[in-house]
Amino acid sequence: MLKNLVSFISDKFKIKNDYPEQLSTDDIKLKEQNIDTSLKKNIETFERIYFIPDNTDVKIRHLFIPGINKKAAIIYISSIMDTKIIEETVIRPLQNNQHTTIEITNIISAESVSTAEKIKDALKEINKGSCALFIDGEDQVYLIGAANFQGRSIEKPENEVSLLGPKEAFNEKAMTNISLIRKKIKNENLIIEATTISKRSKDELYIVYVKDLVNEELLKNIKDRLNTIDMDIIQNLSILEQIIEERPKSIFPTILNTERPDRAAYFLEDGFIVLIMENSPSALILPATFWSFFHSADDRYQRFLYANFTRVIRGSALFITIFISAIYVSVTNYHAEMVPSDLLLAISATREKVPFPTFIEVLMMESAFELIREAGLRVPNPIGPTIGIVGALILGQAAVQANIVSPIVVIVVALSGLSSFAIGDISMNFAIRIIRFGMIIAGGVLGIYGMAAIFTIGLFYVVSIKSFGVPYLAPMTPKYISSNDTIFRKLTKNERFRPGYLKPKDVTKKAGDS
Amino acid sequence: MEQHTGKIGIREYIAMVILMIGTKLADDLPSILFQKLENAAWFTPIIAGFISIIPIFFLIKVLSQYPKTNLMEILQIILGKPIGYLFVFMLWIMGLAANTFDTAIYTDIIGTMYFTETPTIFIYIVLMAVSAYGAKKGLEQIGSVAASVITYIKVSLFIALILAFSNGNINYIFPIFGPGKWEVVKESSLKVSLYIDFIYLGVIASYVSSTKAFTKGTWISLIIVIIEIPIAMLAYLCLFDYESVKLLNYPFHETIRYISLGFLTNIETFFFPFWLLASFVRFSIYLYISAVMFGWLFKIKNFEYLIPPFATLLVILGMIPETPTFTVADMKAKALSFATPTFFFLPLILWSIMKIRGGNKNEKKEM
Repeated sequence: MLKNLVSFISDKFKIKNDYPEQLSTDDIKLKEQNIDTSLKKNIETFERIYFIPDNTDVKIRHLFIPGINKKAAIIYISSIMDTKIIEETVIRPLQNNQHTTIEITNIISAESVSTAEKIKDALKEINKGSCALFIDGEDQVYLIGAANFQGRSIEKPENEVSLLGPKEAFNEKAMTNISLIRKKIKNENLIIEATTISKRSKDELYIVYVKDLVNEELLKNIKDRLNTIDMDIIQNLSILEQIIEERPKSIFPTILNTERPDRAAYFLEDGFIVLIMENSPSALILPATFWSFFHSADDRYQRFLYANFTRVIRGSALFITIFISAIYVSVTNYHAEMVPSDLLLAISATREKVPFPTFIEVLMMESAFELIREAGLRVPNPIGPTIGIVGALILGQAAVQANIVSPIVVIVVALSGLSSFAIGDISMNFAIRIIRFGMIIAGGVLGIYGMAAIFTIGLFYVVSIKSFGVPYLAPMTPKYISSNDTIFRKLTKNERFRPGYLKPKDVTKKAGDS
Repeated sequence: MEQHTGKIGIREYIAMVILMIGTKLADDLPSILFQKLENAAWFTPIIAGFISIIPIFFLIKVLSQYPKTNLMEILQIILGKPIGYLFVFMLWIMGLAANTFDTAIYTDIIGTMYFTETPTIFIYIVLMAVSAYGAKKGLEQIGSVAASVITYIKVSLFIALILAFSNGNINYIFPIFGPGKWEVVKESSLKVSLYIDFIYLGVIASYVSSTKAFTKGTWISLIIVIIEIPIAMLAYLCLFDYESVKLLNYPFHETIRYISLGFLTNIETFFFPFWLLASFVRFSIYLYISAVMFGWLFKIKNFEYLIPPFATLLVILGMIPETPTFTVADMKAKALSFATPTFFFLPLILWSIMKIRGGNKNEKKEM
């Protein structure tokens, strides 16, 4: 009885599917086959796979090769390749051939020619911009590389601005990015390994390292992790980063994402490993420590004193961002005695008409700041800055006049917001901004005691993070041989060691002395 | 690439020891010492420090004979199964008691000096929760945290002491021997146990990167502690004079309340967070050591899971005394005298039995 009822209800509410599920097993079987000797059959197979002529940019051109008297055909995807190259190096030589015993590879004058026997291998190359040449009577296919994907040219870095450093940034073409790195490291030990990481879209990942520096175990660890990825599509490095990182839910990033080739080259020379991918205007550097997020490219290029001055500023900015609002909340709520009495009177005078407790006041302003920041980021370019300034000014001014917040809170929040911009790395910037809210809550609940508690917990957490086996605060603690580039950096000529926490094959940087 | 070794380096080790013992200068220990010796109390840490060289020396001797074994196993190897077990149990009980006293005192400091309106239980829970979190992360992490904060803690202490000295009167140290030379020596030797923590370091000795690092680290930290505690006590003495310093329960906190810096008249909030940091790390170490010992006693392999229950137990035990300022301090003073013989004679006994038995014969069998 009950069963009937259940089945009746489920029948009633069943979604009627207009599109019955189709299995692609036939297609998969077809792709597993070898290339046939019959040109006609091959062309039919490929027409079926590529849906020609529905599929507009896949082209087939039939040819006749004089001399050896054979029919041939080329298949290519016109949108992702240079048709001029095909015309000059494949079609014309083939049609002008007069020799009777010559090999096909010798007729074609293109720079890279390979062969494949399986249909799926041929497909893989065609999809990557190669041109496939079928000859009647041959059970293999010639693949001529002529890929030319459209993209933008090399532009200036937008997120990691540097005053003195090179002004080139990575773009979406992997080969351009590799070229930018090779330009900086002209050494035969620079290895660029390619692996396919996704099952369906066959995204290629380039693992870049310097062979005589990198630690083999680290490299193996990273390759193992890349091999365990089981995904259909990984579009770019930002997504890959989230897949391969050790603690995806952690507040701190453990892989450095940079758009500067000079920075990538610098890390490579220290024994780090760089990942590059098509469609990603950046490179991933791993492993990363806290310091690699804290540093900026300019720290290298500025003179010793200026660079360290910048570091001091950035360090204080970090602390101001995390602590200033929380300190204001806890001091006004729990430790009012520490404020000099004149200032205390001034604060209380401005707070006289404000109906909210400081905690709510600060939280409100901080949230408003985050709102402006996020909205400012998404606003279309031309009106972006206007919205930002107008929003900040009007919100601040009007909120004070309406007695919703006191002026000192506006100062405090502005200071903390401004300081947060000094941390250049986007991921670390987010981490700091989130921690700031935790601190404000801790300060509101338990004053300095709560802040110290959260800080201690955070510190215990930070030292327990490892990025591919490297402690997050290395080389500060635990101690390793290194150039000690942490809060401050040394004189460039005194930076004699590569970071020991990577266990590079060669720890000393200078060839002359050991 | 560094694999997970679970070992701590000498920097981390020294930082941990200094935070374990050095932080005592900022709780009620100075006031306990001031009670009897008055203005000569600052001799106590020095004399006790020099006396404690003997047990520490023998302890290191014994520990270096068994480099990969922890104190509990060594006790059992040397003293035999039942007696060794009993000793470990006794040490554990002593540790737990000390931990209870200390956490109660620290909670009382926070409660009476800074957060007078916050419920004690709340302060206590936060203190233990943070320490338990740290302890659960493991010794490596505690070491790293200790090493990264020690400089700032000591700089803040240094500033506080400088300000205290500049506000104080150096003549208050006279008469230099206070109640008399003999009294000073007698009372000081009774309080040798203020360095008893060194015994507990044997528990974590096998986690230090090398025996050499352990030996060197232990001596360096002993020297630093022998220097910093008397200087701090001198600062309190110079600031308050011996009569009033006797009345203070927590002289460090009174000091940072008393001193001022230019236009800032109340600067205790600048020093308070550093003291808190030190305290959190300190109790993390104690909790960790307690858990290791308990895990060994009752054959619990994953002793990390004992840390949260221990922290809870400490909160419950520590909440029992109603006025910890007086009751706990009183008990602590008695416990200090009581623990002295254990601290002094245990390493001696261990070493002599080991020598009589002819060194470390069992190492291979035990490993």
